[in-house]
Amino acid sequence: MSQTANVLEIKDLVKDFPSVRAVNHVSFDIKRNTIHCLVGENGAGKSTLIKVLTGAMLRSSGALLLNGEEYWPHSTRDAKEKGISTLFQELNVVDQLTVAENLTLGMEDTRFGFLRATDKISAMVSVMNSLEPSIHPKMLVSRLSVAQKQIVEIAKAVATESDIIIMDEPTAAISEGEIKRLFTIVKGLREKNVTVIYISHRLDEIFEIGDYVTVMRDGRHIGTKPVSEVGDRSELIRMMIGKTVFEQYTPKAQACKDPLLVVRNVSNHKLHDISFDVHEGEIVGFYGLVGAGKTELARAIYGVDEYRGEIRFKDRRLSPSPDKAIQAGIALVPEERRSQGLFTVLTIRGNVPVMNMKKISRSGFVNASQERKVTREYIDKLRISTSSTEKEAAKLSGGNQQKVVFAKCLFADADLLMLDEPTRGIDVGAKSEIYGIVRRLSEEGKSILIFSSELPEIMNICDTIHLLFDGRLKATLRNGCDIDNEHVLHIVTGGDAP
Amino acid sequence: MSADVPAPRKTVLAGVSNETFLTFFMIGVLVVLFAVACLFVPNFYLLQNIINLFSNYWFVIILGIGVTFLLITGNFDMSVGGVVALTGVLSVWFCQGYNVSQNALANGLGLPYGAAVALALAGALCIGAVNAFFIARLRVPSIIVTLATMMVARGIAQVITRGAQRNTSLPDVFGVIGNTFIPGTSVKIAVLIMVLLVAAAYVVEKKTVVGRRTYLIGANATAARLSGIRVSGHLALLYMVSALLAGVTGILLASEYKAGLSSRAMGYEFDALVISLLGGVSIAGGFGSVLGMFVGAIILAVVTSSATGLLLPPDWQFTLKGIVTFIAILAQRFALDRRKG
Repeated sequence: MSQTANVLEIKDLVKDFPSVRAVNHVSFDIKRNTIHCLVGENGAGKSTLIKVLTGAMLRSSGALLLNGEEYWPHSTRDAKEKGISTLFQELNVVDQLTVAENLTLGMEDTRFGFLRATDKISAMVSVMNSLEPSIHPKMLVSRLSVAQKQIVEIAKAVATESDIIIMDEPTAAISEGEIKRLFTIVKGLREKNVTVIYISHRLDEIFEIGDYVTVMRDGRHIGTKPVSEVGDRSELIRMMIGKTVFEQYTPKAQACKDPLLVVRNVSNHKLHDISFDVHEGEIVGFYGLVGAGKTELARAIYGVDEYRGEIRFKDRRLSPSPDKAIQAGIALVPEERRSQGLFTVLTIRGNVPVMNMKKISRSGFVNASQERKVTREYIDKLRISTSSTEKEAAKLSGGNQQKVVFAKCLFADADLLMLDEPTRGIDVGAKSEIYGIVRRLSEEGKSILIFSSELPEIMNICDTIHLLFDGRLKATLRNGCDIDNEHVLHIVTGGDAP
Repeated sequence: MSADVPAPRKTVLAGVSNETFLTFFMIGVLVVLFAVACLFVPNFYLLQNIINLFSNYWFVIILGIGVTFLLITGNFDMSVGGVVALTGVLSVWFCQGYNVSQNALANGLGLPYGAAVALALAGALCIGAVNAFFIARLRVPSIIVTLATMMVARGIAQVITRGAQRNTSLPDVFGVIGNTFIPGTSVKIAVLIMVLLVAAAYVVEKKTVVGRRTYLIGANATAARLSGIRVSGHLALLYMVSALLAGVTGILLASEYKAGLSSRAMGYEFDALVISLLGGVSIAGGFGSVLGMFVGAIILAVVTSSATGLLLPPDWQFTLKGIVTFIAILAQRFALDRRKG
């Protein structure tokens, strides 16, 4: 194998989807035996680029040179054989098997269909030992921590002589101590002739372990630099956000009434000591990156997850159960539309009245004409494009599905509406319609909490913005013209609040 | 022969829901099977035979109601056959005379018939409560829990009957309800109860909030919970109702035979499941109907009784039943896919 200086060269790479160009003429090189970081906001095109590199998706055009040779992976397995392994956030280990069995999984030596103990296992195990002697090969993987499972996967990649290991947010789910251990191992990989492509939202990590950093934005390559030449976090943040132009926002006059929702010192497995108030008619945004605790906060308020601390709504403590929350006047548009919000096999009529059956029934009997009437009313009100109330929800477009989930929550007559990633995966037109609905609701006196990882969304419609990082509420801002994007990104990527 | 197949034409049924479509499709299958049976089996078309088709399966249809509702939520109830045996045996044991004989199997608790029935139904509800607790509360997969309670219920019946049956020293009143006929017909009162229960189940399924919740849970249990439906409470209710229906069946059968038999209703849980599936209930939940289940039961009745009419040996009947069920369900899925595509 020729030892070129660049292990991977990406040349003019393009990946198109039906409506959007996710990777737009990206070119950069990755030097051999380095740790190359890849950063960018959500939707910058990192994931798509990685999917092309690992063979999960085919590129639209452009070239990839791996060790100086044309590289065109057809599948993740193909990519692995050519030397690119990936450590996904969803780890690829089998809990019920031992460490040693996992290491050789898919490459077992057999004779007549029976497993054979061979050198391969001991070779694997010795790599494993050199990385992390504390993991015993006979241990069941289910008993390992997430970080230890990652190390098993790294060992497997090293032992199969991968040239490149791609790590997708490996520190998102592990503790501080384990992060340190992982970093030691990742740094050590350079001596084992392995190049690491490291993706993270936590900018501090890049300065700690990165040799090079590439910034992407809106599908484009913004720049690649040695980390030593990057001045500080703010320089990276500037590259990440560029000149984002936001719609002009005029904040409402602050209401001086008693707060509708009071959250005090709420903590659980993910949240740490969160406190805030919400007033009538207020639109409150929670901004943070993936894993910051937004969904967990919404679930705690809604009574799905347990918590310590106090949540009071209309001056009363909430019982920890969604049906009690709905009765009290809270409704949630959940993060995952299809799996948590929508009944896809049912019709629109079957979906809309679900959260408030009392309104369409009398002594337990459903009033069918009333049901159809309200469904039609909401189809008109939210402009859901459908031929009839009897259309299966699964057959609607993403935006229209989201509107059905909205209709469901609006029909609950809630005073507090919680929207978790309300516009994820829907097109621009439907997005602005949903913002319009939110503004209208707030004018009607409803309070709205928006949990989002898209900054423009938060800046567009929220009166108050809370910034979350690692389950903590780091800062609270009043929206207005003086919001500093750099400052916001500085905080949600783990920087200290001033 | 294919000419008289009432092929589901898109033009006619385009506007109806998938569920109505499937019910019509299975009625079509039923009509074809009936026509074929009339061609080959002598006297199959006689009114009396048609009445028999409806009345010979009343017990499986009553069990099918509970099983269908649970299947729509995405859960199984395999315990119903066991509960039938248990309730029947309990009602006999409670009702048998106290200390009237040397034979232990002839001695019971000597309770009045009404009390015996009430207590036997309470026994059925206990099995339902065990199902509800483990499935709704502790979220143990329903197939595991109800297979266990199926065996436990039948096991208790075996202990009480010492593996045989109890049929002596019963008051005359015990045999009344199971052997009363609708005046002027040869149709038992149990068949009438079955028809009333199916009608009631249809109303609950289509017209009430309880029915809606059943579909919602089957369609998406997570979304149902986040939409404020108390999923475990609802499942518990359905398991109790299913056990109660099985209990009623057990009482009626015990009365008909004036005996408590521990092997009664062996395999009925599978028949109930099969007729639900024949009626188009989706094993994944969220789809199906009691009416479809009823049609499924009649299909199974036509197949079984024409096999008997053709003097097919019983061993072959079982195989035939299996093959017809399999083909019918495949045809159903195929028709539904064609419609969607």
